[in-house]
Amino acid sequence: MDLAFLIESAVKVLIVLGFVLLGVPLIVWMERKVIGHMQDRIGPQRVGPFGLLQTIADGIKLFFKEDLIPASADRAVFIIAPALPVITAFLALAVIPFGDTVRVAGRDVPLQVTDVNIAILWILGTTSMGVYGIVLGGWASNSKYPLLGGLRSSAQMISYELAQGISLVSVILMTGTLSLAAIVRQQETMWFILPQFFAFVIYILCGIAETNRAPFDLAEAETELVAGFHTEFSSMKFALYFLAEYANMMVVSGIAISVWFGGWHGPFLPPVVWFLIKLSLFLFFYVWLRATFPRLRYDQLMAFGWKVLLPASLLNLAVTAVVLTLASTR
Amino acid sequence: MPGSLIPLAAYQLVAALLFTIGLVGVLVRRSALIIFMSIELMLNAVNLSFVAFSKQNGQMDGQIFVFFVMSVAAAEVAVGLAILVAIFRNRETANVDDVHLLKG
Amino acid sequence: MTEAVLFTLFSVAAVLFAFNVVFRKNAVHCALHLVGVLLSLSGMFVLLNAQFIAAIQILVYAGAIMVLFLFVVMLLNVKGEVPLLTPGAAKGFGFFFALLGFVELLWIVLSSNGGGEGAPRPAAVLPAGFGSPAEIGRILYSTWLFPFEVTSILLLIAVIGAVVLAKRKFL
Repeated sequence: MDLAFLIESAVKVLIVLGFVLLGVPLIVWMERKVIGHMQDRIGPQRVGPFGLLQTIADGIKLFFKEDLIPASADRAVFIIAPALPVITAFLALAVIPFGDTVRVAGRDVPLQVTDVNIAILWILGTTSMGVYGIVLGGWASNSKYPLLGGLRSSAQMISYELAQGISLVSVILMTGTLSLAAIVRQQETMWFILPQFFAFVIYILCGIAETNRAPFDLAEAETELVAGFHTEFSSMKFALYFLAEYANMMVVSGIAISVWFGGWHGPFLPPVVWFLIKLSLFLFFYVWLRATFPRLRYDQLMAFGWKVLLPASLLNLAVTAVVLTLASTR
Repeated sequence: MPGSLIPLAAYQLVAALLFTIGLVGVLVRRSALIIFMSIELMLNAVNLSFVAFSKQNGQMDGQIFVFFVMSVAAAEVAVGLAILVAIFRNRETANVDDVHLLKG
Repeated sequence: MTEAVLFTLFSVAAVLFAFNVVFRKNAVHCALHLVGVLLSLSGMFVLLNAQFIAAIQILVYAGAIMVLFLFVVMLLNVKGEVPLLTPGAAKGFGFFFALLGFVELLWIVLSSNGGGEGAPRPAAVLPAGFGSPAEIGRILYSTWLFPFEVTSILLLIAVIGAVVLAKRKFL
């Protein structure tokens, strides 16, 4: 492990960190503007040109709020809980390839913090660890509504993890490798969206449920259960949960892009630009869903996950396996 | 061990330590949930031992065994916690000393 | 060198977390420390060239089984005077027998050092792809196919059993 490798890894980590920390305010601004225009109003427009500094202003406001810890709350868990979803989101972002290998200072640097050969398993593992932030946040508040919201939200997340994993497995059957960089490279001629369209639909629905976004956001919406698991969190802890939600959105979009939409492949522009374009389109799609659909009730949500998505993903897996076997024996 | 400077005995020692701590938990704690967690600790110590031996001998069978141990542990946890929930619903206590109807 | 540092780190973390699992009052804290043990063990599995098992440990054990534990702990919400340890003389017996067990394990580990007469010879170098998902898949679906299928039936039985046991009305 020589010094050049360490420096390269440190720079990549800092770039990813900076990208997320700077990108989240932009995504929040885009969300508020887009939802505003879809609802026939303008959205933030006073703070900075086109309201661009609105999120910064909100961040400063959150920073100066009083950081309350309820007296009967479990202190240690209360303080650690908001950090967990952020940590798992960043860990998952570490294996997503942002671009092709570039040549910097005489070394071939892959634009991915690290390329493990079990990248898909790693991502599934870190997203299942993300449940802890929610369930511990709900518990540590020692209060009725957060506990109910936390338990509901974590039950929702672990239910949708299954269909998510199985839809990814259908693609793995085609690629034969678990490494995300290799999967992206295999999509030079044809993106996997064409043969595995249904797996993509299932994955993106599960991804929206995993990140607790509308229309699956019953457990944390402000009008339900008094804001759910993050009721008692204020100031920076709330900001961390907020950051974690958008970082998780980036993770889900990043995986969908890398596995189904060709990753950084694209005609004229540099690969990183293509990845960013696709990422923006996915995030716009997330926001569009939030503006358009009403919320699902909790039992509708659980029924959808267990009775519709899971059998559908299993069926997709079975059909993929049969087709691949027939194609290989021909 | 092949490809590593750390001797097998080091891993086995850690596994033995974890196993003993789990054993202490099972023998000494009275809350059924903590006893359950100590059993999981013992199972994990055994997993570590298996994987270390697998690397020592260069055969993957140890890791396959760990795979099966994990599946069986998952099944056991599900059923055991369901039993615990049923007992708790009837008796309002999770203390194993209170579940003594069959005692002579 | 890095391997020795990582091994020390992971094993010390695992043992410390394990102590906390057994000797804490609050059941949620015990469960969280058990998650810490599982993550440390996952790191040790990576050191032992068992990448697939390490990932499965995080996915299944730390990510699903412990969440189930936490759910039950939170829903049962046992408060009140459950004494921390067994009262009286039984506590001493428990510690003594555990110590006896540990001494026995230590003796086995240090004397045999990995094998008796029937044990396979230690390998000189690991085969390529050791511990990778491809190798696991190859062995699991050829040599160990029957236990694999039986395990799937076992998991089905466990699911049905758990649902039946936890229902409120008599099924």
